[in-house]
Parts: sequence; C-alpha cells; structure tokens
Amino acid sequence: MKVFDLIRSALAWLTLLLVTFLMCFPLIWAMSTSVKPPKDVMATPPRVIPQEFTIENYRNLITGKQQYFRADQAYVPTTSAPQHFTSWFANSVIVSVGSTAISIVISTLAAYSVTRFRYRGRRIIPYFSLLGYMIPSIILVFPMFMVMSELRLTNTLWSLTFGYVSITLPFSMWLLWAFFRGIPVELEEAAMIDGASRLRVFIDIVLPSALPGIIAAAIFSLIVSWNDFLFARVFINSIENLPLTVGVMHFFEGVHVDWGLMMASAVLMTVPMAVLFMLMQRHLVAGFGAGAVKG
Amino acid sequence: MLFIVPFAIAALIFMVYPVAEAVRLAFYDHNPLRPDASEFIGLENFRTIFADPLFWQSFRQAAIWTFASIVLQTVIGVALALLLHLPLRGISIFRGLLLFPYIVPTVVIALILQWMLNAEIGVVNWSLRGAGVIDDNVYWLATPSMAMLSTILLNVWKYTPFVTICVLARLQTIPLELYDAAKVDGAGALRRFVDITLPQLAEVLVVVVIFRTIWTFNKFEEIYLLTKGGPGTSTFNLAIYSFEQSVANLKMGVGAATGVVMMMLLFAGSLLYMRVFRFAEDDSA
Repeated sequence: MKVFDLIRSALAWLTLLLVTFLMCFPLIWAMSTSVKPPKDVMATPPRVIPQEFTIENYRNLITGKQQYFRADQAYVPTTSAPQHFTSWFANSVIVSVGSTAISIVISTLAAYSVTRFRYRGRRIIPYFSLLGYMIPSIILVFPMFMVMSELRLTNTLWSLTFGYVSITLPFSMWLLWAFFRGIPVELEEAAMIDGASRLRVFIDIVLPSALPGIIAAAIFSLIVSWNDFLFARVFINSIENLPLTVGVMHFFEGVHVDWGLMMASAVLMTVPMAVLFMLMQRHLVAGFGAGAVKG
Repeated sequence: MLFIVPFAIAALIFMVYPVAEAVRLAFYDHNPLRPDASEFIGLENFRTIFADPLFWQSFRQAAIWTFASIVLQTVIGVALALLLHLPLRGISIFRGLLLFPYIVPTVVIALILQWMLNAEIGVVNWSLRGAGVIDDNVYWLATPSMAMLSTILLNVWKYTPFVTICVLARLQTIPLELYDAAKVDGAGALRRFVDITLPQLAEVLVVVVIFRTIWTFNKFEEIYLLTKGGPGTSTFNLAIYSFEQSVANLKMGVGAATGVVMMMLLFAGSLLYMRVFRFAEDDSA
C-alpha cells in the first residue's frame, strides 16, 4: 500500500510538472528568443538556453533605436521602428489605471448604496450589471466609438479610459456587491448610534473591511484594460496614441519580422501583469470565488 | 442613496446607451464615412446576414470552435483540479501558478504562438520533426483545419485554469465523511468518483460550462490576433464576421445586426442559466 501511494504521488507530480511546463513554455520561449542575438534567433537546433546573451532587443525598445535585423544578420534601420514603444507603454499604464480608478470609485459607492439603503429597484441593479458584463466587447465597441465621436474624444486616451469603463464597471459592481453583502452592518449601526456621520462610517469602517474586495476588483479591472485590443484598434488611429497591445502589431509591418524584438515586447507587456499577479495572488483567487472573471 | 447616482449616470452612458445604439444601428444602413446618409431600412440587415453564406459559415465555425474548446477545457480542467486536490507536498505552488495564463494578455500569447507555430522556423514543428511525429512541416496557421486547431489550443491554454479553479474550490467543500463512508462500504476509487465526486460537482460544472460557452462563442481577440479569421475565412466566427462587416465593408448596420443575433443567443444562454438556478430567488438573504 505504501509503495502504491508513492507511485501515485510520483505520477501526480510528473503530470503536474508536465502541465506546468506546457503552461509556462510559451513565456519561457519568448524570454529565450528575446535575449538571443539575431544570428541565433532562427538557428537550428533551437535552444532554450541561449548560447550568447544580449539585451539589444530590450535596449532598442526602450531607447527607440531604429535597428532591425536583416537576413544577412546585420542590424539595419527599417521603416517600422520601435521608437514609439515607451509612449505605448505609458499610454497603456494611463488608460488602465484611469479606467480602473473610475470604475472602482463608482462601483464602491454604488455597491455600498444598494446594500445599505432601501429604495425601489436596488435589487435589480447587481443583476443588471451581471447582464452588462456578459455583453461582448464587439457589440459595444462601435456604438461606443460613435459616442466618442459625438464627444470629440476619438483618438485620445480619454476615449480608451471611458471605453474600458464600459467593460470594467459592470463586473466591479457585481463583485463589490457580492462583497459588501457579506459585510455585517452591526458595526456601522453601532458607530452611527454613537453619533458618527454616514461619511465617517463609510470611510473608517466600511472601506477598510471592503478593502480585499476592492483590491480584487481593481486587479481584474487593470488586467482587462491592460489586455484589451479591440477598443484601442477601433478608437485610436494615430500611432503615438496607441496602447501596447495594438502598437506592437506595427512590428509586423517591416519586410522581415524581427522575432527577437517582437518577443522582447511580448515579455515587457507581460511584466507589469506578472508583478501585479505575484503581489496580489491571494486577492485574485478571492475575486475568482466571487465570480468576477470576465474571460 | 446618493451614492448610486454616479453609477446610474455611468451605466446610462457606457452600458445602456451603447447597447440601445447597437440595436438601433441594426435597423439602419450606416456607413461610418458618411454618417449623415444613415437611413432606416427595417429588417433589411437581418435579411442580408441570413442570406449570406459567410454568416452561416461563421456561425458553424463558431459552434465548432466553442464546442471543441469547452469540451477540452472541461475535461482537462476537471482532471487538473482532481490532481491538485490530492494531498501532496508542495502542491500549493502549482495552485498558485494556475492563474498565470489568465493574466497574460491575449496579444502576447498570440504573438508567441505565431512565433512558435511558424512553419519554417518555429520551435513546434522542429520538436515534432525531431520526435518523429511529422515528416513535413505543418502549416499551422496557413491551412484551415490546423488554423482552427491552433486557435482552439490558444483558447484552451488561456481558459482551462478558470475551470480548474472553480472546480477545485468546489472540491474542497465536499465533506470527507462521504468518502470515508464509501470506503467502509468497500467502494473503489472509480466508484467513489462516479458516485460522490461527480454529483457534487454537477452544479458548478453546469455553471462553468454555460458561462464559458457564452463567452467563448463571442470571443474576438483570441481568434483575430492569431489568424485574423483566416486563412481565407476558415476561422471566422460571428464576432469576426461582425467586425469585418463594420470595418472592412463599412456596413455598420450589418455588423450591428450580427451583434444583435449574438446578443439574442447570449440572452438565451443566460435565461437557461437562471432557469437552472432560479438565481433571483436566493437574493432574499
């Protein structure tokens, strides 16, 4: 029986290692490609551990140096260059943080309102949000584009910030509603009997106890807006206003696709999310539990 | 009460209005380059799409794509959850890693897959050749069936962890006494799985499958970024069909009509979900 258990554990471990490998290999391969010098990128046999190590691709992305490599393995300047990479990165940060801030503030207030006050229609709001977040972006994107044209916001970062609110607000609302519902009101009532104002109670008692839910909603908002491609593809038409996801597609426009540069940008695009992920893992799982996942 | 006001305003502008506008557009002939020439044409857009073979092709392909993705995600996801539920040492590391594919931007995994699946110099063909599985390079993204398979793989890679996490959370709440009792009665491992685990998981599986089906069916980026719907139109789904009608053909009305059809299917799915769980009732708590 002991031996059987041992074999079973070993098998389970092996399977899990294999799954983990499959899960992580694309990223490992991207990292490996991104630090290879041009002559090794397409070399056979492909090696996971690079023979030679270079940070040239990253340097080009960050300094915007117009270097691409040609089939004869020399770096040459080409037309589609990485000089916009840093602005794309900044744009991505601005719109993700902006839309997350807006939807978190609005949905925190709203979730508090529907769970603590009694008025007609308050029951319907969370379900209305749930329905809202099930509607796919492809249906929202063109009408939103027309709204943005009316407001004369197309081709600005504002259009993206607001555009993402249409995705992140409904699910933040749904998640925070589920979360606020679970916070007992007795403490708040006690504080109010002691003479604390509604606002004081909200800031001193409600917000701290809702913090884990707020963090989870914020992380999911950040992920969704950081990863979006469709809204940016439709809303923005000047190259310097693009976020990363649409921007890097311009790297396909050269005569040769520079896979080293491409993989370096893929890695850099993942880093902020990976950092967030490592810092906030616990909260992410909590968010999954509350059903906040749009995917 | 006042706290709801910002939400109400934002919801009106960013949720209700766009959806209403999408529905309105479906009944109009609208060219984004000549917005003033917009004209009400009744059900004409719907007639157009229902008469368009490409619409039905996209519909069929979306159904295949969704079905294959969901079956694979569910089977692999449940198997993985069962593995992760085993009391092994160090297993929490794996549980932690699970969410990783979910946070990787679709653009990133699509770029990486284009590189890995490159027919001439990609690492996948090289490995398969080395292992003797294939003799000639497979044109993953340039042959219709392989392109479909590639987009399914991307989808499975990214969303299987979702199934695993939901199932794992449920597994952890199954009372151990059930298993102990079954063991005393002499039930084997398979018997215990079929008689205890599966029935306990049934509810969460139905929820997960309905939700994933609705979302997968309407996915845009997972396909568009890897194959652009190609080669030809062989990986078109309704979302890509709608996008191409609006952007390439400048027929926003036709695109919107497709969107309305997608929404109807979505609502049918949601109704099914609410029917199954009589969801609004437990709100009394």
